[in-house]
Amino acid sequence: MKNPSAATATNVSKIYGHGDSEVRALDNVSVQFETGKFTAIMGPSGSGKSTLMHCMAGLDEMTEGSVTIADIDIASLKDKDLTKLRRDKIGFVFQSFNLVPTLNADENIRLPLLLGNNKGNEEWIQKVINTVHLQDRLTHRPSELSGGQQQRVAVARALASEPAIIFADEPTGNLDSTTGNEILSFMRKAVDELGQTIVMVTHDPVSASYADRIVFLKDGKIAGELLEPTPELVLDYMKKLGH
Amino acid sequence: MLRIALKGILGRKARLVLTSLAVILGTAFLSGTAVFSATLNRTFDNLFSDVFRNVDSYVRSTQVIEADFGAEERQRIPAELIAMIEAVPGVGDVQGDIQAFARIIGKDGQPLGSEGAGPPTFGSVGEEFKGALWTISEGKFPSNSTEVALDEASAKAGNYVVGDIVKVVAQTGSREFTLVGIAGYGDVRSPGGATFALFDLATAQEFLAKPGFVDAILISGDGSASDEELAQAINAIIPSSYKTETLTGAEITKETQDQIGSALSFFSILLSTFSYIALGVGSFVIYNVFSISAAQRQRENALLRAIGASKKQVTRALMIESVVVGLFGSTIGLFAGIGLSKALSALLKAASIDLPSGDLVVPSSAVVNTIVVGLIVTVASAWLPARRAGKVPPLAAMRETAIEIVVLSRRRSLFGLILIALGAATIVAVTSGASNKWLGLGILFVFSGTITLGPVIARPVALLLGKPAEKFRGVTGTMARQNSARNPKRTSRTASPVLIGVALVTAVAALAASISSQIDGVFTQQFKGDYAINTNARGFGGLSPSLADDINALPEVERATGIGLLTVKIDGKGQYLTTINPATVEGVYDIGLTSGSYADLTPETIFVSQQYAENNDAKLGDTLQVTLADAQVKTLSIAGIYEFDELAGKYTVSRDLTKDTTVITFDLGVYIKIKSGVSDESARTALQAAVDKYGQGTLLSKREYIDSQSGQINQLLGLIYGLLFLSVIIAIVGIIITLLLSVFERQREIGLLRAVGMTKSQVRTTVRWESVITSLLGAVVGIVLGVGLGWVIVYALRDQGLSSFSVPVGPTVSILIMAFVIGVLAAVYPAWRATRVNLLAAITTA
Repeated sequence: MKNPSAATATNVSKIYGHGDSEVRALDNVSVQFETGKFTAIMGPSGSGKSTLMHCMAGLDEMTEGSVTIADIDIASLKDKDLTKLRRDKIGFVFQSFNLVPTLNADENIRLPLLLGNNKGNEEWIQKVINTVHLQDRLTHRPSELSGGQQQRVAVARALASEPAIIFADEPTGNLDSTTGNEILSFMRKAVDELGQTIVMVTHDPVSASYADRIVFLKDGKIAGELLEPTPELVLDYMKKLGH
Repeated sequence: MLRIALKGILGRKARLVLTSLAVILGTAFLSGTAVFSATLNRTFDNLFSDVFRNVDSYVRSTQVIEADFGAEERQRIPAELIAMIEAVPGVGDVQGDIQAFARIIGKDGQPLGSEGAGPPTFGSVGEEFKGALWTISEGKFPSNSTEVALDEASAKAGNYVVGDIVKVVAQTGSREFTLVGIAGYGDVRSPGGATFALFDLATAQEFLAKPGFVDAILISGDGSASDEELAQAINAIIPSSYKTETLTGAEITKETQDQIGSALSFFSILLSTFSYIALGVGSFVIYNVFSISAAQRQRENALLRAIGASKKQVTRALMIESVVVGLFGSTIGLFAGIGLSKALSALLKAASIDLPSGDLVVPSSAVVNTIVVGLIVTVASAWLPARRAGKVPPLAAMRETAIEIVVLSRRRSLFGLILIALGAATIVAVTSGASNKWLGLGILFVFSGTITLGPVIARPVALLLGKPAEKFRGVTGTMARQNSARNPKRTSRTASPVLIGVALVTAVAALAASISSQIDGVFTQQFKGDYAINTNARGFGGLSPSLADDINALPEVERATGIGLLTVKIDGKGQYLTTINPATVEGVYDIGLTSGSYADLTPETIFVSQQYAENNDAKLGDTLQVTLADAQVKTLSIAGIYEFDELAGKYTVSRDLTKDTTVITFDLGVYIKIKSGVSDESARTALQAAVDKYGQGTLLSKREYIDSQSGQINQLLGLIYGLLFLSVIIAIVGIIITLLLSVFERQREIGLLRAVGMTKSQVRTTVRWESVITSLLGAVVGIVLGVGLGWVIVYALRDQGLSSFSVPVGPTVSILIMAFVIGVLAAVYPAWRATRVNLLAAITTA
């Protein structure tokens, strides 16, 4: 029986500086991300949404609290094990500069597997490649791909190792809206058809409306939640929060 | 713009340090070798002005034979002159001087000092004399034929104290003496590391030279006449039939200083040649660093252009930076060089070459030269990158990434190919008859062509060399391989220092391998014995001719023959004659007689080589006038012609030629054939006993002897390898700098890789393999070029008797291994830096 929660943050705080100059980027945040769901994290700049993601993904160290990914407490992990956890259990999609320029699309998609000397599940990888429509672009280098195609490769890479959870940081931030919607549809499909778990940081209500659930952050604290959102609902909710 | 440039420099101190590092290294060698040479020169100047400080006149023979390589053999003068000179008014004290070969045998039976290589071993006169060179620091000067004094360094090295029995080997044999004194030479323990055994005059004459003769006569005046007057007075009383000249103390000092000076100048030229090679190699690194930093600042420069800076201003800012770097680097390089020359002196001291102490001489020319050359090289290296920086379009400021745009122009390929073709054509012209002097130009063309083509061939070759990395290291290997090929210009510039160093080393190694194999072939053909006794005492004595006779008398020995060298004048020119013993030479040493027989070789005849006979149209019965070193003229008729002239040279005479003259001959080797049925063991025991009796020479089996002869060239190579090591150091620094800049440039990529699961050790692997591939690229291309270069040089030397070319397999393999190690070492720091990349900063920077 799978744990219903792919990632859990318990009383996580992230504090920069000391004493008077102390800044609480995250203030005692507890949140769970359900397995098989698409969750969006929203909030204004400086609300701590990126920091939360970085702490949960093992990219940044938290000051207090604990995070478990696939039942593993990441606070106790050394750099080497943390790196392996990111490689095997977590998928990443960043806003830009997602791909290694010297590797072709296929190699970029398989990068986490290749780094772990892991063949992976070929059937699954083909399914992922088909889902994001990259069959005929596999031998291209990133410089030969459009921005949208590059993000599709990034999404495919995040999915390739069948991770416990995928973190996406403004994945459509550098794309025009049509291409952006395409990428979001793929991510939606990955959750619906391939049973993946995705957590996406965004500030765009339309993007966020692709998610099953939205967690709102403000001043480093959870400010609220919204289930089954539409862009209108999101906008209303944001107004309510005083954005 | 000046302020912007200066701020730019100070704002990035790390870059300043990296760029300066290349300049510092290059100029450090330049100033280091200059300071070292100047110091050495001054030291010897001082030493010799000390030596003759109290000598007012110097009498010597005018008879001198100048042979090849600056060797000089001056005749001895009769000792009876001493008494004649003593009677000259104004003369205070007179001493006969002898300086000849002698070796001090240590308490363990081994001679002190090294044979051949290293400082010479002398026997000389040590007597109470007003103008004495030697001062007794313990005991007294020897006063009879059983006494000896030693220089301080030798006494210490041999653990000898006054009262000990010391065995000394000289040209007349070996003898035991009682040590009565220990002497210092000026303010040093021994002059230039040479060993000295000192005797009273009569013993020195009889033991070291010939009774009744001295090398020179030293006179110190009583103060009543000037040096010039004294010399004239002495000269006036010596009959011209003695063929002598009288020099003043100042003249002999200057002459000796000049001689040492010219001997040292060869050394300084060699040193400075290699320091310029090192600087040339360094200029690639400087150029590369400026190129990379200009590329990395593309956005910054584009921004300057966008807000109104002209192309010129952007270029000028970079040029100003290069001037600052050049001045900064050369100044530090100058001081680093002074430190380096101190290290060199310490190194010599550690190798027990005790140079007279003296202050470091920093000639102003070295200071000016270092700064000016360093500045010029730096500014020249920065010129192209600076111009390219100026050409950046303002729009580049808006581009997301600033990576060097690599356009490999057809023009470059064409130009490179034309240069190589020109070089090849020149070399072909030389091989088909043109003068050898064009060879250098041809080689230069090929080198420049290869460097020009570098970026074009870098990518395919790097990809090929990276294949194994990809195979064994998986995706990290793939990335290393692609990284090394992603910017072929940068890779080829980084590999160029390795290339040049490796090409030079390989060429020298190829030359050495060819010479070695040739020597091997020659000895195999001409040396027919089972054993040889070898001495490396070139120019300073050799084996006593009686050694060969002793060995010949051994019951285990079928036949033994000595081979020596004699310096004479033929047609007014110094020439070497090979001396053999016609009675014993047959069947042991083969000179390939084509006419005549060994029995025909008498003190009245000479053999000449076939080559000589052809060139001079000489035939049997023709006569040759040979002037011996004692000015005796002998008329020799040609009694035989031989084919093998590689060892024997043009002329071969009987060793009896000098029997009734004052000329002393040595054997340089004794060749021995053992009676059949005698075991190796008993032969060796008997021979070794005979050798030990004389205390010099090394007994070698046939194979050992041939190997030692063909291996001699390797000793010379040691020096050249050592000097080329300089460029290897610069190559390593070049790779380190480039890798650091690349790592800096790829921060985001490294951050991304770390985020998606690349471990630190995988990051290091990637950097390490990129470094190895780059280094191997330089090595492989360098080896190809070096082997070709070696072949060309060997071909050019065919007239000097070098007929076969050998590929230096061993050195090539070592170079490849070394290149691998260089790659690994150079990557250590950059790889570590790469793991320190701030992951979050790398992935969050938009």
